[in-house]
Amino acid sequence: MKINNFIFWLLLLFLISTTNSFAKETKVNYRLKWLFNTSVAGDIYADAGGYFKDAGLDVDVREGSPEKNAINELELKRADFGVASADQVIRALDKGAKIFVIAQLFQINPMQWIYRRDKPEIKTLQDLRGRNIGITFGGNDETIMNTLLAKAGIKKKDVAITGVRFDFTPFFMRKVDVWPVYRNSQGVILKDRLAREGEDVYFFNPADFGVNFVANSVITSQAMLEKSPDIVEKFLKALLKGWEAAMDPANEVHTLEVVKKLDKGNNNLIRKKQLNATRNLIKPSASIKIGTINMEAWKQTEEMMLKEKQIKKPVNIYTHLIQIK
Amino acid sequence: MLFRRIYQFLIVYIIGILLLLMIKTGLSLSDYVIPGVALIVETTGQVFKEYFFDVMNTMSVTILGQCLSIIMAFTVGIAGRKSSWIGSFIKVTAYNIQAYPIVALAPIIFILLGDGFIPRLLIASMICYFPLLLSVLGIMATPVKDIEHFYIVTGRMRWQLEVKIRAFENLSKLTTVISGSATLAMAGTIVGEFIAANAGIGYSIRIALYQSDLAKIIVALFMIGIIISIYQGILETMGEQIKARWSISKKGEVL
Repeated sequence: MKINNFIFWLLLLFLISTTNSFAKETKVNYRLKWLFNTSVAGDIYADAGGYFKDAGLDVDVREGSPEKNAINELELKRADFGVASADQVIRALDKGAKIFVIAQLFQINPMQWIYRRDKPEIKTLQDLRGRNIGITFGGNDETIMNTLLAKAGIKKKDVAITGVRFDFTPFFMRKVDVWPVYRNSQGVILKDRLAREGEDVYFFNPADFGVNFVANSVITSQAMLEKSPDIVEKFLKALLKGWEAAMDPANEVHTLEVVKKLDKGNNNLIRKKQLNATRNLIKPSASIKIGTINMEAWKQTEEMMLKEKQIKKPVNIYTHLIQIK
Repeated sequence: MLFRRIYQFLIVYIIGILLLLMIKTGLSLSDYVIPGVALIVETTGQVFKEYFFDVMNTMSVTILGQCLSIIMAFTVGIAGRKSSWIGSFIKVTAYNIQAYPIVALAPIIFILLGDGFIPRLLIASMICYFPLLLSVLGIMATPVKDIEHFYIVTGRMRWQLEVKIRAFENLSKLTTVISGSATLAMAGTIVGEFIAANAGIGYSIRIALYQSDLAKIIVALFMIGIIISIYQGILETMGEQIKARWSISKKGEVL
């Protein structure tokens, strides 16, 4: 009897250990485009909230930076999924990269321009005439501004263009009137700093003038899509679930808590404002589902880049956009 | 010396490119990650002229920056050679300034000097001068006892003579450090162009980085490498000539 009992427990132990090993989560690497902050709240939330785990995935969410390019990482097989801006995706396709967009995170591009309220409001594109406009030469804001100026029939000599970098000093010193910012991160910080000096600001959003240049999207490799479509589906569902939860005002406190653990650079008030700004860009209306790929905006982005000679030939971007239901 | 510098650079550059191409082939990477030969050649045709003038622009600042850093290093080195309070104060200040990352100082430099030539020059000389300073301090703080003793006991020692003796006795070291600092001056100028300029090859590289265009960066690296090799070769040749001339003139003469 005792021997039977012993064999029973031994078998049970074996079964438990083998079941555990079968239930092991699939390891996945996810490279973000930028540092951990409120603009990646959904990515952080999906991980911290256990959404990936529930989907049977062990996701390593990694910070990005200008040097840590998600497309390179996909090709080098260091990442399975990543976040890249539309211009990065289109440039990579132009050079033969085998990648696909599986979700569009920002429905409105956070790349906008900030300017002081003591300057006349930019109500039409013609109001850009005579302004000193900051652009990051080589950045996508240059492409956007060139498109806006061309659309308005404004020649370069009709405006003053100043090359800008990470340092906001020329804007604070009023050497540049209209300064490019990420609306939901730097935009919030600058607005807050100027408010403390008694100054108010406007934001100039190119989308309001019909220029829709797509921003960050989730990408994966062709190999991943072909070999592990189930993992792609699981990952995306969990990620978008995380984003939906993070953008839900009811979860605001929890979202800010999980972001705070990783974003040490900002205070609580700034993070709260950044979250509100991010919400408006990710989910501009209740009817828009997070992750929706705006085909027309992607086509417009490709056309802009072609016109600006940033790509040599059309890449037929719509053939690389997959809206997973 | 000059030609040896150039072909040595070409060997290193070609090995680097071959290594990249091997990785590209081995891992089946697209031209976006590592550009192929055809794309590099095409990009060279597109940007060669522009980058050549960019590098020359950077080079002009490099030479000025290096001259400035040599002056700074010798001034601080000579002033800080004494083990007095003021000497150690100068040394500590010089070391501390070097410890600050240039990117953190960039906003202050921008407020004081604006965006353009002067910040590039300042950053180039700041990055270049520290290794020079270390060598100059090391040389100037070490007495050449055999020679200096004579002047001290005869009461003819002046600080100018002390500096002269120490410089002449370490001429070989000094010329090597000065020619070696050319690469640092170039690196400093490029960093300056990254953070506070609208011209030069550093600025062009920054734009290429924004566009993830490695082909442009490879062309830029070639241009930088070849020009700096020529410059260093010229400096080394000049150093050899100065050494040869001084060693002849020193024979049998009293300092």
